[in-house]
Amino acid sequence: MIIVALLLSAQVAAQDPRLERLDPETRSAVVALVDSARGDGLPVEPLIQRALEGATKSAPGARIVAAVRRLTLDLGTARTALGTNATSPELEAGVAALRAGATPQVLTQLRTVRRPPLTMALSVLADLVASGVPADSAAVAVLRLAPKARDADLVEFRRAVERDIALGAPPGAATSVRVNAGAAEAFGANSGNVPRPPSRP
Amino acid sequence: MFENEDDVVERVIQQLRRPVAIDPGLDARVMQEIAAVRPAQRRVWPLWSLLATAAVLGALLVARPWTRNAAQNGSDVFQFVFVAPQAASVSLVGDFNDWDPKRAPMQTAQGVWATVVNLTPGRYRYAFLVNGVEWRADPGAPAAKDDEFGTPSSVVTVGGRGS
Repeated sequence: MIIVALLLSAQVAAQDPRLERLDPETRSAVVALVDSARGDGLPVEPLIQRALEGATKSAPGARIVAAVRRLTLDLGTARTALGTNATSPELEAGVAALRAGATPQVLTQLRTVRRPPLTMALSVLADLVASGVPADSAAVAVLRLAPKARDADLVEFRRAVERDIALGAPPGAATSVRVNAGAAEAFGANSGNVPRPPSRP
Repeated sequence: MFENEDDVVERVIQQLRRPVAIDPGLDARVMQEIAAVRPAQRRVWPLWSLLATAAVLGALLVARPWTRNAAQNGSDVFQFVFVAPQAASVSLVGDFNDWDPKRAPMQTAQGVWATVVNLTPGRYRYAFLVNGVEWRADPGAPAAKDDEFGTPSSVVTVGGRGS
């Protein structure tokens, strides 16, 4: 009896206090998923954040649990594609790229052509698809720029494509035109690190 | 006009070799003073040790340095701006502040709401909560397409390679 009580109290103590914002039933299910992910060596902070997002948005418990479970599975897929050395931000960006329509093979290929971190390259890929660029066109563009472009170059490439799309250009055409121009500019850009004012997303 | 250098050195040596008269009672007085000074007694009470340990653990729990939004090396400053002239309040909530509206209330200047956040490299989902009830995405940032909770969100990515 005492041992059971001690074990239960230890479990409560080990549980992330932020999850107390969830109702008991949802919290129990989320904690189980988090513990399982931790056991598998997956990052758990993204799972906790997804649960907290659902709680703040007053989502039903079942939907929160489903979102956390789906994210756990996708983090596992991203890790398989990116390798066991992938960081948590890389895995999160990898999940975004996969959900945008990139294949695991694209993630693996990206890993071979670009030195870490891959977070920005994966994120730009996902954001391009979110802007309407076909997934295969976005993947080709990012893979072409990835070997030498800086993160800042990739962000500027994404912004340029988004501007063109907003002005009425077909997303695929905007991407192919900008990737040719962007590659030339990026590879010749000054890579010095200079102080900057606060950035905008 | 000038003394020979050897003569000067010789006179210095002689001065140094002269016996110095010491008060015969000096040794006794020194030993008396030493005996008078007792080492301070320091006892470590178990209760104080426990309290000190509890204080350190409490400080760690309050500061929670392991959370992702703790300012660390490699973090970058990001300004978030949202234009809402009619809003009474706007909060920035996202993966970087545990989706807690109380953590990042935005300040307004004539309807332009703004706040600054330190972000370490990573991809963050976020949204603006207007008047405590209305969820709005950032019109100036990529949309989070994988929103599973039925409200719009945006994405900001902080790179770690010349971003």
